[in-house]
Amino acid sequence: MTDRVSAETYEVEELESVAIRFAGDSGDGMQLTGTQFTNTSAVFGNDISTMPDFPAEIRAPAGTLAGVSGFQVHFSSRNVLTPGDAPQVLVAMNPAALKASLPELERAGTIIVNTDAFTKQNLSKAGYGSNPLEDDSLEGYQVLAVPMTSLNREALAGFKELTNKERDRCQNFFALGMVFWMFDRSMDTTRDWLFKKFARKPIIAEANLKAMETGYFLGETTETFQQRYNVRPAALPPGTYRKVTGNEALSMGLVTAAQKMGKPLFYGSYPITPASDILHSLAPLRHFDVRTFQAEDEIAAICAVIGAAFGGALAVTGTSGPGIALKSEAINLALTLELPMIVVNVQRGGPSTGLPTKTEQADLLQAMFGRNGESPLPIVAPATPSDCFEMALEAARLAVRAMTPVFLLSEGFLANSAEPWQAPRAEDIPEISVKHPQGHRNGNGHSPFLPYERDPETLARPWALPGTPGLEHRLGGLSKAPLTGNVSYDPEHNEQMISERAEKVARLAGVIPEQDVFGAAEAELLMLSWGGTFGVVRSAVASAQRAGRSVAHAHLRYLNPFPRNLGDVLKRYRKILVPELNSGQLALLLRSKLGVEVETYANLSARPLKIAEVRDVINANLGRG
Amino acid sequence: MSTAATEEITLTRKDFVSDQTVRWCPGCGDYSILAQMQRVLPATGVAKEKTVFISGIGCSSRFPYYMNTYGIHSIHGRAPALATGLAIANPDLTIWVITGDGDGLSIGGNHLLHAIRRNVNLNIVLFNNRIYGLTKGQYSPTSRPGTVTKSSPMGSVEQPLNPIAVAMAAEATFVARSIDSHPQHLAATLERAAEHKGASFLEIYQNCVIFNPNEWTDLSDRKNRDDSILYLEHGKHMIFGKDRDKGIRLNGFTPEVVSLDEVDLDDILVHDATSKPLASILGSMEFPDYPAAMGVIRDVRKPDYAGELIGQVQTAQEQRGAGDLNQLYLAADLWTVEEREEAEEREITSLASDGDEMPITGLDEEYIDEMDKPEEVLSDFQDLLVTNTLAELNPKVPITVGKRSSLARTVRQMNQHNIGCMLVTDEENRLVGIFTEWDVLNRVAGLVDDLTQETITDYMTADPLTLKEDLPIAQALNLMSIHGFRHLPLVDDGGQPTGIVSFRDVVGYLNEALEDMTD
Repeated sequence: MTDRVSAETYEVEELESVAIRFAGDSGDGMQLTGTQFTNTSAVFGNDISTMPDFPAEIRAPAGTLAGVSGFQVHFSSRNVLTPGDAPQVLVAMNPAALKASLPELERAGTIIVNTDAFTKQNLSKAGYGSNPLEDDSLEGYQVLAVPMTSLNREALAGFKELTNKERDRCQNFFALGMVFWMFDRSMDTTRDWLFKKFARKPIIAEANLKAMETGYFLGETTETFQQRYNVRPAALPPGTYRKVTGNEALSMGLVTAAQKMGKPLFYGSYPITPASDILHSLAPLRHFDVRTFQAEDEIAAICAVIGAAFGGALAVTGTSGPGIALKSEAINLALTLELPMIVVNVQRGGPSTGLPTKTEQADLLQAMFGRNGESPLPIVAPATPSDCFEMALEAARLAVRAMTPVFLLSEGFLANSAEPWQAPRAEDIPEISVKHPQGHRNGNGHSPFLPYERDPETLARPWALPGTPGLEHRLGGLSKAPLTGNVSYDPEHNEQMISERAEKVARLAGVIPEQDVFGAAEAELLMLSWGGTFGVVRSAVASAQRAGRSVAHAHLRYLNPFPRNLGDVLKRYRKILVPELNSGQLALLLRSKLGVEVETYANLSARPLKIAEVRDVINANLGRG
Repeated sequence: MSTAATEEITLTRKDFVSDQTVRWCPGCGDYSILAQMQRVLPATGVAKEKTVFISGIGCSSRFPYYMNTYGIHSIHGRAPALATGLAIANPDLTIWVITGDGDGLSIGGNHLLHAIRRNVNLNIVLFNNRIYGLTKGQYSPTSRPGTVTKSSPMGSVEQPLNPIAVAMAAEATFVARSIDSHPQHLAATLERAAEHKGASFLEIYQNCVIFNPNEWTDLSDRKNRDDSILYLEHGKHMIFGKDRDKGIRLNGFTPEVVSLDEVDLDDILVHDATSKPLASILGSMEFPDYPAAMGVIRDVRKPDYAGELIGQVQTAQEQRGAGDLNQLYLAADLWTVEEREEAEEREITSLASDGDEMPITGLDEEYIDEMDKPEEVLSDFQDLLVTNTLAELNPKVPITVGKRSSLARTVRQMNQHNIGCMLVTDEENRLVGIFTEWDVLNRVAGLVDDLTQETITDYMTADPLTLKEDLPIAQALNLMSIHGFRHLPLVDDGGQPTGIVSFRDVVGYLNEALEDMTD
């Protein structure tokens, strides 16, 4: 921590937690800036939660509202579960970034702006009639106006080898330096990263470092920043931590599952936002026997997965809602072939192409019912970014146990958000038991192989692999006779096979955890959530409980089948409220499957819920307490 | 496939016959194909447990049910995609894809193209009967124009696909054609397809006795077929006919049928299965204009997809060792929280250097790439415009007049200095306006009687757009092009003019720069 200057000359305020939003043009490197601040805060020991927010267009016109790229990081001395409702600090690199982010900013929050970017042209691109820095529209906020472009240019004037454009591209590190100073953070982690990342072009690392240091020392030497803040390390459980996003955790979970099965991992996928990063994470892991396949389309991806599952790999496809729509016929084939595989849906805003970079939970009923015929499948949904690791393992375990495709419903929010993760020790993770029937060379004396002879406990059929002598068999999408799997249009056969497939999914309830509840076993109100809303709902309920309200929280990670005790749990609460980023899909399932009365709190903004919003809902449902 | 060839057990046709009753229409060409397949497979030496048949939907796609091997009767058009996944999961298997003209070229056209393009080690057999059979007789993507069916009662108005040409367009390494009615030829061609490592594409002309019974009559009738079929053999002349009296000759780029009585044998084409242009020519020869080319049209060796992919796995494991999960989990910036309440001392480690680090998510990977990439991404010329500043143009020292000057004085000055543009300044030498030849022509000439009585401020353009010397040349070019300016004043931070850039300066500079680059 060599960069730390004496804080005595400044007023240092202790804060419990702070949320900062970095916002600029798509080309300004805001994701990178936010990530660097996050890494430093994580290494410092804060608990963190992040949320990137970028446009669907790779290069929307510079300076426009459509081109604003934002990154929010919430860091705290206590346990945080969400990226924060309203940031207290906004770093705005241009007028559009200010305009797009201001509504989110906390009242009286701090705004750090690059005044050089507030040109007539940029103001008009952002739709500002007058310069907000000069009129009274920012009244009530603490505005730190810094001519970042010119100061940065001045600082990097000595870097003759670089073009002006390259020098200007270091501007984000100038801003990062200022924020590091403001929050009394060391520049070490970022410095190390720069020299590692740009090992081939150290001049770039030097220039960015110089920009960062200049920003940092600006805070120290000018009176612009009179206030510094300190957010102390959080009391996380002892251990070694790293930062992880949902897609990273999911990728590591899939690799782990394959290793624990002693299988290659086959990942067949067609690029789609926000699932593509899973493919990017897995592709470099060939040494784990990861066989990634970038298919020609969504249908080819799931079909190749079916082929790979037949061949004996841990087979996984990843996509988003529109991709699931294309895959649904093939998922049904997999269901009737009764082969194990994982179908990952990183949900985004819909319907149709919808909002590719925004988040939603509106594909639950698609996973549940979006296929022809009677076609029940297990569904799991991670609650947090790091929970994606656990649920990937769970999905693999259930798929192999019941010989069925399993849906894993992630969300754009989980996929791209990050939180600290206490990495497990691989040896502590249990093996996933896989059984394949043994072959035999000589047909005589062996009864014929029955590909649909079910295990009496799990009702799973045997996973016989091509290449095994004596077990040759044919599978198909036509209706089948029990045991032999031969084509059969017999009505009784059809009914039996449909029932057995439904029953084997239902029986998984016996091997998934029972539903737990945060708070009293009986109360006025139960908040019942699923998926990525966990952090927000848990925070809101905890806050209401501290205020003495009679409210508890249950969070579902298993959507089909439901935990076996869910019905009993729900009976103990006077009122059940289900907050969802859809118009009430879980609520519909609960009513129909458990016959309970539940109410929906629907949010269709394609943005994560906010704690204050859920707090208000809780209060409104409990009356004045 | 070589691994399986060591099996001691000798297989016979019966070993490949399943216990299921075959349910194609009596007389269907599929029976012949099934029989030849069951006959050929024992000869290939591949163990039956290592043989897999994968099909889509259609009459032909019932095929796997009748083969006593592993098999999947999948969904419409998708067999090549399933087979690709299986080949990647287990590259030791011999995988046959059975498809038809509707399954493979209509609903599944995309997968067929890509399986062939990737050269996945599959034997793809396409039964072409130019009709939809299972759905009871609609025209297919290979039906000839004018084909009358239930869905085209006035005749089909569609152009058909040529399956061989499709395979060639997908860079097929093995392309062949045969016909159900010629069992020996069919068996031999199946065997060749099986031998080829990589994607083998075999089109079989197959007869649908119910919905399109006369499609191949000319080619299947024993009396006539030798005059209608050109049997291809690598290295042999392309000669055909009952009396082997006809041959194929190239006339320019066009093949033509010639009589051997009139043409020298040296002029007859010799088949070369490694020649891509020749394969395309043979594929384009449509019966009845030409004899139908049968046999192996193209056969070349290229790396197969799964082999390459598994090769990468092996290379990665040789170079980095088999993956270690704990290393994967810890390949990031790490921090340790100690057992104490206030953990001030933190050990910061990073193991990310071994390359296991997950890529940064989101758009900024692109941002980093851009910082990291070599500089030739902009063309030299663009780079010049963006990086070089207006100072490089050596802007002329501006000639100015005070804002109280008369028109007469201003015009006189312009003449004296031989310039087309005059800057107007205030008492503190700050730029307040610009006056150009254009203004003389449009606002003064013929309109003002006494130039000495008029003040320049009434005739100039007030508060003109200005630039600073340290801005890129591109910006000046941009303003000039948008607004049609021929002159742009440069000012310093205090608003005082430091120079003037003319369109001519910019053009001259660019011209010089272009000359430098082309030298």
